Amino acid sequence: MKLRHLATLATGAVTATMLSTAALAGPDDNSLVIAWGSTGPIEHVDNYVNTNRTGIWFSRMVWDQLIYREPKTFEYKPLLATGWEQLSDTVWQFKLREGVKFHNGEPFDADDVVYTLNWISNPENGVKVQRNVNWIKEARKVDQYTVDLEMKRPFPQAFEFLSGPITIYPNEYYEKVGPDGMHKAPVGTGPMKVVSITTAEEYVFEKNTDYTWGSPKGEAQVDKIVVREIADVQTQIAELLAGGIDITADISADHVDQIGGVPGYTALQAGTMRTGYIGFDAANRSGHEPVNKLKVRQAMAHAIDRESLVKNLIRGDAGVIHTPCFPTQFGCSVDAAVKYEFDPDKAKALLAEAGYPDGFDIEFYTFRPADWAEAIMGDLAKVGIKATLTKMPYFALRDKQRNEGTTPMFLMDWGSYSMNDMSAITSHFFKKGPDDFALDDDVAGWLEAGDTNSDPDVRKANYAKAIEKITGEVYWLPMFNHVRNYGYREELEFTPYQDEIPRFWQYGWKS
Amino acid sequence: MLAYTLKRTFVAFLILIVVSGLTFSLSHLAGDPALTIGGEQASDEDIEAIRVLYGFDRPLYVQFFDWGLKALQGDFGESYHYRQPVADMIGERIGRTMLLGFLAILFALVVSIPMGTLAAMRPNSLIDRFALLIAVFGQALPTFWFALMMMIVFGIWWRMLPISGHTDWAHYVMPTIALGYYATPALMRLTRAGMIEVLASDYIRTARAKGLSPTVVLFKHALRNAIIPVVALAAVWFGFMLGGSIVIETIFNLKGLGWLSYDALLRSDLPVVQAIVLIFASFYVVLTLLADLLNAWLDPRISVK
Amino acid sequence: MTDAALPFRGRKTAEEILEPSPMSKLRKRVFKNYSFLIGAVILVLITSVALLAPVFEAFGWIHDPYDQDTARRLLNPFWYETKTAPEHLLGTDKVGRDYFSRLVYGAQISLLIGVSTMLISGFIGTVLGVTAGYFGGRVDMVVNFIINTRLAMPVFLVAMAAVVAFGASLWVVILVLGLFLWDRFAVVMRSITMQARDLDYVKAARAMGCSTPYIIVREIFPNVIGSLTVVATVEMANAILLEAALSFLGFGVQPPTPNWGLMLNEGREYMLFLPWTVALPGACLFVLVLAINLFGDGLRDVTLERER
Repeated sequence: MKLRHLATLATGAVTATMLSTAALAGPDDNSLVIAWGSTGPIEHVDNYVNTNRTGIWFSRMVWDQLIYREPKTFEYKPLLATGWEQLSDTVWQFKLREGVKFHNGEPFDADDVVYTLNWISNPENGVKVQRNVNWIKEARKVDQYTVDLEMKRPFPQAFEFLSGPITIYPNEYYEKVGPDGMHKAPVGTGPMKVVSITTAEEYVFEKNTDYTWGSPKGEAQVDKIVVREIADVQTQIAELLAGGIDITADISADHVDQIGGVPGYTALQAGTMRTGYIGFDAANRSGHEPVNKLKVRQAMAHAIDRESLVKNLIRGDAGVIHTPCFPTQFGCSVDAAVKYEFDPDKAKALLAEAGYPDGFDIEFYTFRPADWAEAIMGDLAKVGIKATLTKMPYFALRDKQRNEGTTPMFLMDWGSYSMNDMSAITSHFFKKGPDDFALDDDVAGWLEAGDTNSDPDVRKANYAKAIEKITGEVYWLPMFNHVRNYGYREELEFTPYQDEIPRFWQYGWKS
Repeated sequence: MLAYTLKRTFVAFLILIVVSGLTFSLSHLAGDPALTIGGEQASDEDIEAIRVLYGFDRPLYVQFFDWGLKALQGDFGESYHYRQPVADMIGERIGRTMLLGFLAILFALVVSIPMGTLAAMRPNSLIDRFALLIAVFGQALPTFWFALMMMIVFGIWWRMLPISGHTDWAHYVMPTIALGYYATPALMRLTRAGMIEVLASDYIRTARAKGLSPTVVLFKHALRNAIIPVVALAAVWFGFMLGGSIVIETIFNLKGLGWLSYDALLRSDLPVVQAIVLIFASFYVVLTLLADLLNAWLDPRISVK
Repeated sequence: MTDAALPFRGRKTAEEILEPSPMSKLRKRVFKNYSFLIGAVILVLITSVALLAPVFEAFGWIHDPYDQDTARRLLNPFWYETKTAPEHLLGTDKVGRDYFSRLVYGAQISLLIGVSTMLISGFIGTVLGVTAGYFGGRVDMVVNFIINTRLAMPVFLVAMAAVVAFGASLWVVILVLGLFLWDRFAVVMRSITMQARDLDYVKAARAMGCSTPYIIVREIFPNVIGSLTVVATVEMANAILLEAALSFLGFGVQPPTPNWGLMLNEGREYMLFLPWTVALPGACLFVLVLAINLFGDGLRDVTLERER
């Protein structure tokens, strides 16, 4: 019974050492060490150069936007702009806040805003994600604290971008140093100042003591934050238990129970708007015959027990989603969606009707933890569909989908770049872009109408039609919203948010 | 001798070209680099523009030739993902991997030479059996498993050693042992075999007969001779270790070349993968070339043949 | 030809002829060699368990390794006090599959990977090595170049790149490893063939006008088979460990295939809290590789002793 001994020893020792939590920085000098990066390092911290999601936490610490979106209610509130007014269909006027200073002492005024907006909207400057900025026509200075923003066309989602990816840069500094200088020594107005950056390794911040002008983002709760890029989740957990870091957010649902059981540590789960779905190759690029049939896709929708998956594997406050978007997003009407309850008998009947009474073989792709896919495959096997799994790195899978199209069925997800508007997800996937595997003209048309009309009711009506058709045709089987799992030292105080944006400066130590 | 040196250098160079060519074709099969550069939100037109801009629309051999010419000048291009010169990224990390590889081989030698010598002094004794047992067991232990066990024991239970990072010497202890122990069985066996052979040779018998103390005979005469092939093998192992560092660096978050290559593979960052393969291959080629030349210098018959 | 073959195969000296027959000597050596015996017994055991797994399943002794139920996931093995189930002796994995059944079926995959890789690389290496050794000269130079090129490649890195390029599946992994692990075969075969080429009976065969393939297959091959087997065991162990490391980083065999390397990868998620999830597949892997190594070591002593 050597194994039992080992197991007891392991549990005992873990518990024992946890009790004697060494005073490694943390509450004593009001600093915080965070592990980040299981999705990979930030390639470039300049907000307009990096293309991937990982840069968001950095950008929110260092810079501010014109508008603040309240993370719980999704209401727009003043940030660097104190007020706004729509002058015409395509022009907004913003009143700017006085008395704000950048980290290098440069005062914030209309010049910074005009410079930033005009710089990013100029395609020659090569902002990597053009979608974020290509709706801006021009920004004009009215006076030192007033700016007019002209859009190329009526753009109903403008505030989602102005409160999200568009951060304001200091004009003099950015003009001098450019994106690479900004990457080496970022300067913003945000709650934390950058002390040092070692790409792919470590980011050190200190509190911005000038951040006292009543920002809705709040002042920093700690004096110093170190964010370490640790790719391996197990290494992160080991560091957490060894006292090397204070919090991690990359762990799985099981770890929540396990870490939560260790004295001195707490863990919690928080739902996000990241929406998981099974995509089908309905446009038949893969040449997989069964999946091209509606009845087969419906059968699969009935065969998969999403409730049990959510309850046993995802857990937390995740729920089954029936829409090809997250229900809080603008236009995402749950009533419009066709819903599929778990019913293996019905699935079998549908398969028989489609001409596959004995099921068929299918290749199934994912980049997420295999256990989710395996649970789905287990359900499919029960109605006779034999799926084989290929797990690939994210970019390799996207490549295969876009260029080869040989993926008849895939479990993917989309975080909508934290934008609370359906256009950030459904329009991305169903407007015949590179990620559209349904290629449905009707859906693309409705979405286009919804994206460009400035009348909210017209938008909603068009989006509802798109939702109905996408779910009716089962181009996607929406699965569940993802849950972010946090493990941390119990003295730490923090609030997770549904928009998946970590706000490290708000984390603090309980006194 | 000069002709031999030139010939061997030419062959070594040819090997590097073939290795690079194979990796180049393989990695261009692995994924569309334009998509990596474009990032998550790129449209089809963006991708097409990138393809033209970076020259991915040209035939593969032209791209390879282009790459090779620049690589000769020390320019490995720019990382698709980090948009930094690959040479800089490698320069930043190569020291860590070299240090790790060097420490690991040192560890292996420090363990294997005394053990091999002890075993050779009393063949088939308990010590010999024990050494063999360790060797056989060591070879069957998966490196990553051993690394994880150390991490649990020394990192979490006893909190003796830091788990991840590379900032001071303590960070290198566990990775060194994890990487080094795998080389010990081979080195130990070679030491043992070499020592047995040398101890049975005439000049050792002569030395003993002259009444020299056993210690002097063992260290000054026997070990010095038996150790040469061991050190040569260790040099070759050093090349292998750089490759083996991928798993270890990933586990301990020691961000050297091994970690970099793993990270680059995950995001199809081909220039990085390409450059690291070339560097690892160069290490092997240069080390073997040096060993060959040394041999030829010691034994002139080789270069004539 | 058999007469001509005697000098090498037997290489008998006067005192050896007076000794007991070679067979009985071999038998004696085999039974005196514990590591060979232990290795062989364990290997036979693992192989029969792997081959008989479907029979065990038919008898109901083990479960279907793919049968999952997320409601009974991560049950503990029997020695724990809580969360155990009598029908799952060694617990269940993260989607509720029986751990013991997966370990039993996992033996199949590990052996399959080891044996197939060894066969592929053995074939490539032997062909290259024997060709180089037999013909020498230019052929040898070319083969030497190929061997050196292969040795210069960082196997693990290139194998990972290949798996990314061709997609991870059991056969891709086997093929990639097979294409990479032939170097030792080639080196050993080359030097042995060189020695054998100059032996009198081979020269005699050549003088008698025997065709080259005939000489290689009939005269040279029987002499190298001992060394070949020893190298084969080393490479088999090597392949199994490399595959486990690939699977560990997610570049190996894909789930839900029951495979020890993959189980280690999956269990690693729980290793700090449920150590048995990695201890069990790790132990299986360790025992298998250990058995192969012991077998190989013993084999070396048993078959190659006479060459010293």
